Formats: sequence, structure tokens, C-alpha cells
Amino acid sequence: MKKIYLAFLFIYISFNCLAQQKYTISGFVQDQSSGENLIGVSIYDQKTYKGTASNQYGFYSLTMEEGNYIVIYSFIGYKSITKNITLNKDIRLNISLSNNSIITEEVIVTGEKLDKNVSSSNMSQARIEVNNIKQLPVILGEVDILKSAQLLPGIQSGGEGNSGLYVRGGGPDQNLILLDEAVVYNAAHLFGFFSVFNADAIKDINIIKGGMPAEYGGRLSSVLDITMKDGNNKEYEADGGIGLLSSRLTVQGPVQKEKSSFIISGRRTYIDVLSKPFMPEDNAFSGSGYYFYDLTTKINYRISDKDRLYLSGYFGRDVFNFSNTDNGIGIEIPWGNATTSLRWNHLFNDKLFVNTSLIFSDYRFEFNINQQDFELKIFSGINDWNTKVDFLYQPNQRHTIKFGLNYTYHEFTPGNASGRSGDVVFEPDEIFKQYSNEGAFYFSDDFDVNDDLKIHAGLRYSSFQHSGYISFRDYLKNDLTESDDNYRHIEPRLSFRYRLSTTSSIKGAYTQNYQYIHLASTSSVSLPTDLWIPSSAVIKPKFSDQYALGYFKNLNDNIYETSIEAYYKEMTNLLEYKEGVLPEDNTNSSSDDSFAFGDGDSYGVELLLKKNKGKTTGWIGYTLSKTTRYFDEVNEGISFPAKYDRRHDLSITATHKLSKKWTLSSVFVYSTGNAITLPTERYLIGENIYTEYTSRNGYRMDPYHRLDIGATYIPKKNKKFQSSWNFSIYNVYSRKNPYFIYFALESEEGEDGSIQQGNLTPKAYQVSIFPILPSITWNFNF
Amino acid sequence: MKKYLFLISIFFLSCQEEITLELPSGGDKLVVQASIENGFPPYVILTKNQGYFDPIDVNTYNDLFVSNVDEMKIWYTNEEGLIIDSKDLELFPIELSELFTGQQLPIYTVTDLDSSNINDYKFSESGRKYFLEIKWNNQVITSETTIPNPTPLDCLWVEQSETAENDWKCDIRAIYSDPANEQNNILIKSKRIQHFNFNKDSCLSKSQPDLQLKLVDAGSDILINGESFETYFPRPGDNGFPTGKYNSKREKECDNGYIVDIEEDVVLIKFCQIDEPSMKFWRGLVRQAGTNGNPFAEPMNLTSNINGGLGVFTGYGAVYYTVPILKDTTLTKQRETTIFDIF
Repeated sequence: MKKIYLAFLFIYISFNCLAQQKYTISGFVQDQSSGENLIGVSIYDQKTYKGTASNQYGFYSLTMEEGNYIVIYSFIGYKSITKNITLNKDIRLNISLSNNSIITEEVIVTGEKLDKNVSSSNMSQARIEVNNIKQLPVILGEVDILKSAQLLPGIQSGGEGNSGLYVRGGGPDQNLILLDEAVVYNAAHLFGFFSVFNADAIKDINIIKGGMPAEYGGRLSSVLDITMKDGNNKEYEADGGIGLLSSRLTVQGPVQKEKSSFIISGRRTYIDVLSKPFMPEDNAFSGSGYYFYDLTTKINYRISDKDRLYLSGYFGRDVFNFSNTDNGIGIEIPWGNATTSLRWNHLFNDKLFVNTSLIFSDYRFEFNINQQDFELKIFSGINDWNTKVDFLYQPNQRHTIKFGLNYTYHEFTPGNASGRSGDVVFEPDEIFKQYSNEGAFYFSDDFDVNDDLKIHAGLRYSSFQHSGYISFRDYLKNDLTESDDNYRHIEPRLSFRYRLSTTSSIKGAYTQNYQYIHLASTSSVSLPTDLWIPSSAVIKPKFSDQYALGYFKNLNDNIYETSIEAYYKEMTNLLEYKEGVLPEDNTNSSSDDSFAFGDGDSYGVELLLKKNKGKTTGWIGYTLSKTTRYFDEVNEGISFPAKYDRRHDLSITATHKLSKKWTLSSVFVYSTGNAITLPTERYLIGENIYTEYTSRNGYRMDPYHRLDIGATYIPKKNKKFQSSWNFSIYNVYSRKNPYFIYFALESEEGEDGSIQQGNLTPKAYQVSIFPILPSITWNFNF
Repeated sequence: MKKYLFLISIFFLSCQEEITLELPSGGDKLVVQASIENGFPPYVILTKNQGYFDPIDVNTYNDLFVSNVDEMKIWYTNEEGLIIDSKDLELFPIELSELFTGQQLPIYTVTDLDSSNINDYKFSESGRKYFLEIKWNNQVITSETTIPNPTPLDCLWVEQSETAENDWKCDIRAIYSDPANEQNNILIKSKRIQHFNFNKDSCLSKSQPDLQLKLVDAGSDILINGESFETYFPRPGDNGFPTGKYNSKREKECDNGYIVDIEEDVVLIKFCQIDEPSMKFWRGLVRQAGTNGNPFAEPMNLTSNINGGLGVFTGYGAVYYTVPILKDTTLTKQRETTIFDIF
């Protein structure tokens, strides 16, 4: 492995020496009407097509030899700007692009440079623009960015209505979900049916499912990097929507015009409010209900042309209440995330940009139950204190260099309980917590070796120290009461693009990833009860090797984009609860001994055909894949399919601009049925029957498929007020997709049965949850 | 800003349909229900597993029971591992088994029982580890368990249920002081040794006591270690999940206007200390009954301490109480146990 690193370094130094440095054009690119920084704007020389793209903060830097240039600023959905530039000195040039999506006849699907699919060295990445996914049909009128991401090849859903992401054979904990750089640990509301992200407050979503750049780490499978809107810094604006399930409102505007702005966005469901009139107070279940809400807010301040500050936050909670006066049981289950990010952008010079962040993330779950004078509270969670510094250095046209460091202090509360029975209170002597330090340095360069070959090469050095059961104060005092568990690893990240022609290229990627924290789950879907736990002396870091190779071809002047990617991923040190172990076995203590460890692999082929321009746009994505797990202590040591293994996964989306007022859309999905474990035997203990499960995930449910259609109507805009109606029909042909299967021993109707009387019949039932579901949402903006 | 408020009800129109599945069978496995308890002879009931969709009728039920083992023995050793005493287990006369279990079951037990030792069997003592070996169908099935020291309840009492609609529905409550500085695993079983059902058509109450002890709950003392606390013992439900109430004495009116007195339930509570492997099995039993049909629950096999088979071999450090369901009755005295109580 050392040889690889040395060769890697040698290649890098060799090519770097060839590079030449001249003059630089740099600045920020923003939306003309709102002042929002624009991410991913292409800035290139019209003659040579060489250029760059704006980063997450809208900053760009383009260095070229002295001369006269026609530089184009291009961002789909916006009018391009052409600038004649005489480059004989460094130039600072901030650009505002005007949105032309209202006046155009065309519907735009992505915000990428048109040939980026072919020209970029990145592979297995996609950028989703929120405005476009808002036009797709959605379940119950709730726009959901994670469900839209599931429509991309290589990304699978957890099942009907589930917003969990399963990327190239990875589990839900293997996705790094970042909201303004803060880690979001549980991205689901309502037991996975909706994501926690309010689309009104989101500007940009970058999905990386392979070829992970070196600035990202800590997860094996994917990155979902979500950027919040900054807020309109020119005028006040309000957006909102009223749907069947929830309503939302976003207000944004300048604090100090063109210098500082804010955005605040909130959303709340009202199932509990709507159901109240139908549940009289004397009903045994009166007081039961469910709701979720989230609040997203951000403020930014332009200190100078070189310095900007951003403060953003997210707070969301799900609250489930259950009350049954018949047996006196009251249950309350609140859970949710909170994040805060404070970021400072600083421009050292035209070529060196730095972002420094202080980030706090918190996820907590509580389960409170009381019955008569008995009370029990179970709680768990994780919170992170994170600081990071990321540099972007663009010395010349050939190189984009990124380097930085990242440190996170994790505090885990894996599973604690306290209670009361009568006057007796049960409290653990001290809440059981685990602490760890995670750090990383990285360096990467995206460089053009020549006109055809582009290489992205990066190294990430990561370390993890599990401090065991000690407090942070003890740690600072260096009073380590238990032995440390230290891990240090180098993670190479390498990808290349070789251009075959102006419209086609081949790309390859090899990445190694380590993951030091783990999600322990007893469920087949991601639930709030799942526990985040650190690596320790017993629990080793997860590790993956991923190889990917792809062919990319654009057709018809980049109107059509096609790609085929093949990947192979190996994973080690995956964990599952040992058979028969229950999470409560480790209440108030470490859960290290509860797990079985094993390996996994996944391989597949992903096809994408996408139409970017025209009245009709959309894409067809297809994945053929296989994902397998190998655990000595699970399934009697025999390999078994992962629960999210899908042989076939097909998504077709289409949007058609019918007129200035009407846009039609549709989504069709098909996937192989979920792999599930079913009971194969039963036996008698006492007078009751119990079941024995064999062959983990050995049974396939029926395939999943459905068609959704939608229409968006935009009435004529008043001077100040704009509204739109979104009509959706989910599952048009009311396919009874299997959600789960359950078993029952039933007697003949109306008769009590028992095994002793021999009058029971075993039966299996398949439950489907969403038949045809029409919905309507009214959105407004003023 | 003009707002419009749409309040539209949401209906989740879930539906279910019966499906036919062809599931592979895992082959014959022996299901062991073995018990050894301080002061009583060990006994074993053996059954076989069935395919999940195999038919259930009277014949298949009877065929579940296994009475053809080649050899079965149980022994205990000293600290060096030397066998101190060993007993062969053989089939108890099946017609007599009904006296203990309420039905004719093939029960394996020791062969040296007589009236002098059946209620005071010296072989079974708290603190000893016991080993079980069964030879059946060319298989050797083994297990081991320990009888922990029993711990009594401080007291038990009966009080009217706060949540039931009828004022004759009662709960059994108790105070238990958990021994400190040691892990205890608790198992509670109960059965109604007196219970009457009312038949409105015949205007009669009919005696229908429980045939066998049923599991109330099992768990460790993680949360309650060293504490003295109040708890309650719900009545085990038919599906194995304990949520029910007990009946105190009440009157019922027939259609013809007659009033019938129905006697109260009398409940036998078996309060035991068991070892950890046994606790995991019994707790899994409660959990499986509670999660049956839960779409989010990962399917879970019961954790067996039987090598080569299913089921459990449990050593019980048990104390017993007789609790008549008479409101506001408190008792502390343990029941004088006989062989009839332990099943």
C-alpha cells in the first residue's frame, strides 16, 4: 500500500511542476433577484472551454495566461453572461445571474454545466435543484428531497413511503447527511415516511454515491451535502404552502440590504389537530396523537468583500403520544435533531479561499411510559462538537487543490433508563455515556494532466480515539480511567476522466473509506430507537473499498446525457445485533458485547439516460445489483442477502411544460421485492405457539412498482403575489405493493381456537399501505 | 397576506389480503421444556417443531409430543467437575400426568419417586449446576442450568384495578426487595387454581381453572438492583402477553332475573430466581408474543440454552404464594408447595 501512496505523490508532483501560473479572475456568483450565492456555476473561456465552477459559497477562481478572453458564466435556469476580459492583472469580478425559468418555455432538470457529465472527473455524483423536484408528483403533497434522491440509479429506498437511503449496498448509517455542514443523524420524520428537510429552505443538494472526495469522510457509502438558502438580501419575501399533511411558511429578507440577510422557515403537521374532533374526550384513546415540526433558520453577514459569516440552525421534533385510559397507559415518544453551524469564509487572495466552521449536532430519542404509579424513561442520543477548516486553492487553470482538517468530539448516550415505582425512584448512579475524538486531515487535487486526462487525487488521514466511559472533564485532565482505543488510517481517493471525444469520456474511481461510528438497529427500517455507538476495542471501524468504472456520453448538443457505471464495493467490520440480543440488555452500560461482526459486498451496473433541455425533460435510471452479507454468528454462518438488496431498480421521471401555466409530471418506479425473514417453523412452549425463523432475508416480497402523476398550475402573477397549485396522484393504478407480511393462527370465524383443540389454521397476510392517493397543495410567494 | 385554510381529513387506506407462501422446512428439531426446582424432582416435556404451515388438528397436536427418547439423564458435579449424583429420566405413566398438568402428556422424570420424597427431593438444591443429556433420533441434545437461591417477596396484596370498567376486576400487587450487589434474574409465573366462568344461557358458573402455570414476565434487575419497590403481576393473556386482570367475588344476573354468586379467583404465584440464559429465553418469549405482527420488528428467534435443539432447561429458585382475589387482602406467607404446584 505504501508503494501506491508514493506513486500517487510522484505523479502529483510531476504534473504540478508542469503547471504555470498567470493572472486570476475571481469573485462570487449570485442570483440577481435574491442575492443568493449560486453553487456550481460554470465559468469558462469560450475559446478553449477551460474553466472552473463556483464552490459551495458561490466563490470561483480562474487563472489563465495573459491575454484577451471571452469568459462565459453559465448556470442552467439562468441567463448566461458573457464578459470580454483583458487579463493582464488579477481581476475581482462578482457576477449576478438572472433567473430565466419563469420566462422560458423549457423546464430545466439540473443546475449543472451542460457537458459536466462528460468533462468532470467526478463520477457517481448528482446535483439536485430543489425547484425542479418541486414539480414532481409527491405523496400527500409533501415535497421530499430524499425521496427524489431515491429516483437516481444506485440509490434505493427502504420500502413503501420510506425516505431512507440505501446507496450501493450500504446501510442507512453509511450515509453522511450534512445540512450546512452539520451532521444530521436521523433524517426521517414519521418513522421514515418523510425526511426532515423542508424543501423551501434548501438551496442545493449534492449527492455523492461513489468516488467520495477527500474532504468527506466518516461514512462508507455516500454523502448527501445539503446547503440551506442564505436568504434574500435585496427584498423581503415570504413563501408558504398548505398541504393535506402539513403547512409551511418561509420568510426571508435583508437585515442590511445587500450586506446581511436572514431566512426562517417552519413546518408543522396537523394530523393531531385534524383528528381531535373525531375523538371524543371520553374515548379511551383520547389524548393520543402524532405531530412533527421543524424550524430552519440562517443569517449571513458580509463583513467585507473578503469575509462573510453564516450562522444557520435546524431544530426538529417528532412527538408521538399514546394514551389508553382502559389500562391507564400513557406513552410519549419525542425525538429529533438539532444542528447549529457558524461559518466564516475568508478570501486570502484571488486563489486561496478558506472556510472555518464551528458546528454542533444533536440527536436524541426518549421513550416515556407511565401506568398508574409506575414510570419508565428510556433515552439515548448523540451530540457532536465539530470544528473544521477547509482551504480551496486554485493556483492555475489546471489545478483545484483542497486541503483542510476536521475535528469532532462525540458524546454518545447509547441507552439509559430511569424510572419510578410508587415512591421508589430508580436512577442510574451516573448517566452512561461514551466519548470519542475523531479527526482528519485531507489533501486533494483536481488537475488536468492534458486536454483529455483529468485526475482527482486525494488522501485523507483519519483518526479516532474512544475514551470509554469517562467524562469530558476527566479527559481534559488526562485522567483516563479506561484504556483508549485508537485507530489511525489513510484513505486514498482517486478518480480520473479520460475524454474520448468532446461528447464522451470514460471515468474510473477507487476509494477507501473508514467509518468509526455505527448505528445499531433491531429493525428492518431506520427507526428513532436505533442507537449510535462508537468504535471501541471490541467494535472495529467499518471499512470499504470501492471500485467504479463508467462510460459517459452526451448526445444532440448535450440535450441528452447518458452514462453506464459499474461498481464493486467490499465492506468489513459491519455489525448486527447477535441473534436473541435485545437493546435493553445494555441499558445503562456498554453494548459492545451485543454485536456480531461480519463483511459484505455489493456490485452492480447503473444506467442513466437523461434529457436536460426541451419542453419534456426527465430521466430513466436503472440499477442491476447484488448485495450480500457474511456473518459467522448470523444465519448459521451462511451468506445472506442484505435487507436492502434489490436485483432490479428502475425509475422513470418525466416533466412536460404544457404551457406557461401548466406543467405535467410523472414518476414510475419498479424494484425487486424486499428481502425479508419469514418464520419457517413453529413449536410449542407451554400452551402457546412460538415461531422459529431460518434463512435470514431468505424470502422476497412481490416486486414493488407504481406510477405517480402530477400537475402544477401557476396562475397569472399579480404585481406582488404569486401562487401555484400542485396536484398529485400517488400510485395511479392503486398497486397493492407489499409493505409487510404477518402471520396469524386463526380458528373458524367466531370460534375460539387453540392448538390443543386442533382448530387453528395458519395464515399469512400481506399488508399494503398506500393505494391511490390524490393530494393537492397550494403554494404562495409574495 | 391573505390566507386560506384547508382542513381535509387524511385517510391512510391500508389494506391486507391473505397470501399463500411456500416456505422451506428446517427439519425435525427437539423442543425441550426441562425444569428443575429446589426440593422437587426434575421433569422434562419434549415436543417437536412443525413446518409453519403444517395443518393443526387433534392428531398433529398429539404427534408433536415425543416419547421415544433413547436415553435421558441429569446430573450435577462438584467444583472439580466430578459427577456427584446422576439420575436417569423415564416416562411417567401418562394416565397419571393428567393429575399434574390437567392433560395427558408424556412427561419424563426420575424413577425413584415415592410419597416420601416427591415433595422433598434432595437431589434438587439451590446453588447447584445441573447438566441434562438427551439421546434421540441419533442426536445428542445437551444443556445446563443452575438453581439460584430463591428470594421471597416482602408482601402481596389485592386491590381494585384503577383502569378496569368493572369494580370486581383486581390487580395483584407486591413489594420486592432486590438483593444488592449481585445480578438477579427474575421470572414470575401464575395460574388461577380457582376460576369460574359465567354462562348466561344456562345461568350457571362453571369452574375453569388454568391447567398449567403461565408466564407473567421475566427480566433482570438492571434497573432495580438493591432497591425495594412496588410492582404488580398482570394475568397472562391467551397469546402469552400479560395484560389481564383477576376477578374478585361478584354477582351476575341471569335472563330470568336470578342472581348468581360467582366465587373469586384464587391465584398461585410462582416467584423465581433463574440463571441468565434461562432469563433470556423466557424474556424473549414475552417479547415475541408482544412483537408478533409488528412490521418494524426484526424477526427474532428465542435464545435457547439447549444445544442441538430448541426450548429451555431452567433451574428455578422458587417461592410460591396463594392469592385469593379478595380486595384489600395482604399476605406475606408463602404457600406450602406440593408437586402439583410446579407445573
